[in-house]
Amino acid sequence: MKSLEVIVIIVFIILIAPGRAAAGGPFGPPQPIAKEAGGIHTGIGYWFHEDKYKNGTELVTRQNQVYSELGYGSRNGWEITVRVGMSDLKLIDAFSSSTASTATSKKDFEEHGKFFSTVGAKGFYPFNKTFGMGAFIQGTYYFSDFTDAVSGTRNGAPFSVELRVKNLWDVNFGMGFQATLPYGIKMYIGPYVHYSELKVSPSADAAGVALTSGETTMKTQTGFGGFSGIEVPLAKGFHLNLEGQYTERLSVGAAVLYVY
Amino acid sequence: MKAFSFPVLLFVFLAAGCAHSPDPAASFAPPVAPPQAEQVLAVSDSEQISPKPPEMPVKSETKNVDEYGDIEVLEKVSEEAKGEIADPLEPFNRAMYHFNDKLYFWVLKPVAQGYGKVVPEAARVGVSNFFVNLAFPLRFINCLLQANFRGAVEELGRFTINTIWGVGGFLDPASSKDINLSKQDEDFGQTLGAYGIGQGFYINWPIFGPSSPRDTVGLVGDAFLTPSTYLSPWYAGAGARVYDRVNDTSLKVGDYESLKEAAIDPYVAIRDAYVQYRLKKVNRKGGNTPAEDFGLPKK
Repeated sequence: MKSLEVIVIIVFIILIAPGRAAAGGPFGPPQPIAKEAGGIHTGIGYWFHEDKYKNGTELVTRQNQVYSELGYGSRNGWEITVRVGMSDLKLIDAFSSSTASTATSKKDFEEHGKFFSTVGAKGFYPFNKTFGMGAFIQGTYYFSDFTDAVSGTRNGAPFSVELRVKNLWDVNFGMGFQATLPYGIKMYIGPYVHYSELKVSPSADAAGVALTSGETTMKTQTGFGGFSGIEVPLAKGFHLNLEGQYTERLSVGAAVLYVY
Repeated sequence: MKAFSFPVLLFVFLAAGCAHSPDPAASFAPPVAPPQAEQVLAVSDSEQISPKPPEMPVKSETKNVDEYGDIEVLEKVSEEAKGEIADPLEPFNRAMYHFNDKLYFWVLKPVAQGYGKVVPEAARVGVSNFFVNLAFPLRFINCLLQANFRGAVEELGRFTINTIWGVGGFLDPASSKDINLSKQDEDFGQTLGAYGIGQGFYINWPIFGPSSPRDTVGLVGDAFLTPSTYLSPWYAGAGARVYDRVNDTSLKVGDYESLKEAAIDPYVAIRDAYVQYRLKKVNRKGGNTPAEDFGLPKK
């Protein structure tokens, strides 16, 4: 029980430790979750994700993702994972006005329920029964655009602008180091590289509202970060995975996986 | 166009498939495998027959009271368990049996075989799992109506696990050794049987296959709780059921043929098997009725 407390404290410290750059979905432990001889696993998960984009203007995004996962691989080898899920998107202060002459009805861009898909692959090399390391690559793409509209007044004249966020995608590459504790609990930590991009396209130009001056491609600026997590075997073939990633913003999530 | 519409309608009717059970393995219509007569008789003497009132017309009970009473009880149970059913419509039923038989050999089997050659078995099993998972409301409600609350909870657990961790129902982790939640094979016909309503007489419906007045009424309730009924337009739902039937038949080609070869009179064999099967399902509270109990190959 004491060891579990220690693990929780370590994970907590790792999660709140200052880091750099952004994030893009849970990576899981370096060691595939599949059975020794190979097989599939499924799962569901929730992921809270924040990212920071820049291109003249700085933009902070916030997402709540819910996804379903299917993976195939072998425990001491490789694994491929596919996720399909839904996500909302919030662009914090996207509609805020920078001039006194322009007033807007709301500050944040917000839309819900858009589909995304994530594909990932990982390979694992065990040093011994306790320690091992692995590498992974994982990318996410949003199939549809996020849209939101804002209305307001500029010098007393009313206006309305619709903002469209298109082609949101990210890619991550990293390495993980893993320790297997008693009861099959796995703890892992590692560095990763993150890159994400999106396009913002306004329907009209509203002076004073930053993102409305033509179509803009925004990218993440700081691409390095760290991730850490824990995977706990539950009863009847289920596993709980908790993970945190930190680049410029913190992302955390949990998944419940079932191994066939 | 008319020439085209006939086979289409035929498939639509085929989609209705088994008249009594959402579980394709449980159907005794020609498109799926009926049980073998010898094994049905073996089941009839098993200890699983409960001493409930007979749920179908049976032969008159013996009046000979044994001094120990045991023999009389055994004879009574045996007669009930034999599951004899009145067959006043035998000429019609036999005609429909031949109709269904031809329908199977001329239409359903060739289509299912062609489909089976194109689609790998693992994918077909996944599709079958999906449709079984989709029929959850039917099994769940009937468990509740039969006061089988444990079964209802198991069904709810199965549906939740298979939908979430079974990729929308295509996989069946709930049946794994670890989780071990068995499918509750319940329908409205069984619910009516559990309430004490007898089967009545034997009817062999064209396309729908073996049935009885009780189970025919049960079909209406089953239709209300089958999600594909609510698909719009109507032919989308019909198409889904046709596909389900073809997919299911592709996994069982050969079963029906085996029965026909083994039986002296396949019509009688199917009728008896059907009656036995329904009797056992009504008497068994909760859980699935193993197909092999009725001569069907174990899946």
